[in-house]
Amino acid sequence: MPYLTIALPKGKLFAKSVELLAKVGYSADNVVEDSRKLVITNEASKVKFIIVKTMDLPTYVEYGAADIGIIGKDVLLEEKKDIYELLDMKYGKCRLMVAVPKAKKRAKLTDYAHLRVATKYPNCASEFFNKAGMQMTIIKLNGSIELAPIVGLSEMIVDIVETGTTLKENNLEEIAVVQPATARLIANKVSFKLQFNRIKKLVEDLQKVMVEENIK
Amino acid sequence: MSENKVLQVPYGTKDLLPGEAGAKRKMEDNLATNFSQWGYAEVQTPTFEYLDTFALGGSGITEESMKFLDRNNRTLVLRSDMTTPLARMVATRMGDEKDIKRLFYIANIFRYEQTQAGRQCEFSQAGVELMGTPEPMADAEVLALAVASLQTAGLDKFKISVGHIGFLAGLMEEVNLTGQEKEKIKQLVLEHNAVDLENYVNTLSIDEKLKGVLGRLLFLQDGQDMLKKLQKNVHNEKSYKALENLLQIFAFAKAYGVSKYLSFDLSLIRNFDYYTGMVFEAYTPDMGFNICGGGRYDTMMSSFGKDCPATGFAMGIDRIILALQREENFSSKADWDVFVAWEAGFAQAAIKKAMELRAKGKKVKIAFSSMNEMEAEQNTLENNCTSLVYIR
Repeated sequence: MPYLTIALPKGKLFAKSVELLAKVGYSADNVVEDSRKLVITNEASKVKFIIVKTMDLPTYVEYGAADIGIIGKDVLLEEKKDIYELLDMKYGKCRLMVAVPKAKKRAKLTDYAHLRVATKYPNCASEFFNKAGMQMTIIKLNGSIELAPIVGLSEMIVDIVETGTTLKENNLEEIAVVQPATARLIANKVSFKLQFNRIKKLVEDLQKVMVEENIK
Repeated sequence: MSENKVLQVPYGTKDLLPGEAGAKRKMEDNLATNFSQWGYAEVQTPTFEYLDTFALGGSGITEESMKFLDRNNRTLVLRSDMTTPLARMVATRMGDEKDIKRLFYIANIFRYEQTQAGRQCEFSQAGVELMGTPEPMADAEVLALAVASLQTAGLDKFKISVGHIGFLAGLMEEVNLTGQEKEKIKQLVLEHNAVDLENYVNTLSIDEKLKGVLGRLLFLQDGQDMLKKLQKNVHNEKSYKALENLLQIFAFAKAYGVSKYLSFDLSLIRNFDYYTGMVFEAYTPDMGFNICGGGRYDTMMSSFGKDCPATGFAMGIDRIILALQREENFSSKADWDVFVAWEAGFAQAAIKKAMELRAKGKKVKIAFSSMNEMEAEQNTLENNCTSLVYIR
């Protein structure tokens, strides 16, 4: 039997993903987020784990460097890779949204036309504003998006929020939802065919565990 | 010119160096021999054609096509696939539509797109088109030839998924979906998005049993038993006939001895609007993209004025080479048989000897200056020659 290589995302989805995969028999020693080993192998069950940055994960899967992976829908929407999206794992609930400094709130979305938007998600942001008929200047950043309006780099932001605490702390207010997102199980196109029975069983087992754990 | 200025090639193009180019040529020669053993004749079409031709062909003009203008400002396009030009050629140049035509090509294709593994903006394809017959036996021949070609190229661990456009089309017609709903479903199937497909199908007001089939389409992958089971559960003629057609093709594939490579995937519809029947793709481990794909396209020729059923496939030569390299099954080292060196005063004799050896079919390199025997041995190695002939 060939190895099944699973890509896990660093960050907030990591722990829950490892936990659920272990419950359906996919585990290995020392699958930890700060692992020094780049590839963690379980010889007995023919599984390999790789731990990668979230934005890179779809690329690993698209090229077949990993057979399957778990990743947020927000990243899939941004990266638009040619992969199978097999299962909504329902955890890691968050939403991609538009926020502005409270003091500069305007009456409706289109009142913000022609302003600058800082975001880690330039493709999603462009698409969203295009649909709204707004021409914006998109500024791509790699982190700490909330900082941008505070220091005058942009007037608004498009970013992921879970609870909204960070927004509040920085006096930002959500004005529109771009897209809600949860964790998804994805697969490489070729791996899904060549290891179909194994991956299909994994999907079904995960579905069962989700029912048992009442993840909705 | 500043010292660090290196001349670049455009995005998505590359050079093939000695060795690489030779190995590719050898593979192409082997493929060409194989195609002709199956009765296929080679054809060539222009590298660029009028945009109208590709628009008619139904492969669609997208931002991927490389377009430019001729001197009369008509739009030209570098060929973005070979099926359309071949259909154009056969329809306009090759007489009676009732004749069966077996054609093959080895050609470079051009598409602006994000480069992928083994897929640059310019890449080469080998392929066949079998025109003039709707018979399932013809589809089986194309499948069997695809298997033989991949084997000829040196692959053996590949697998082929076979689907049928008619299955999904029939299901969607059966439940009277609107054009928009059909497009949405096709889009989600093409994107391989099982999550949204199931969610979307559940919002439609259609029969619960059909929801189960349509919503789980991406998981309909298995052997021929699955087809037989599904036949009992579909209630429209089109889907039923699609399954029947696949079973007939499979029976012929058995006779060809290639059925062990095949499995069925009813979500396989390929991203071309022109397919009408059986479609297939081939995959090999260690390569995240398909290496070969094709299918039946019975209506395309009619856009060129001839009603003519047709089927065929194309394989990506660069991708196959990459897959072979990953299996460490591909040598791109150029080598020669003999190095002819000579002592001062023996140049003419050396030329004569080299010509003799070449006449015997040897691959020969000759030295351009005299050298002693030790230098000659060194040079033999440096020139990748297997043996030395030293003339004195």
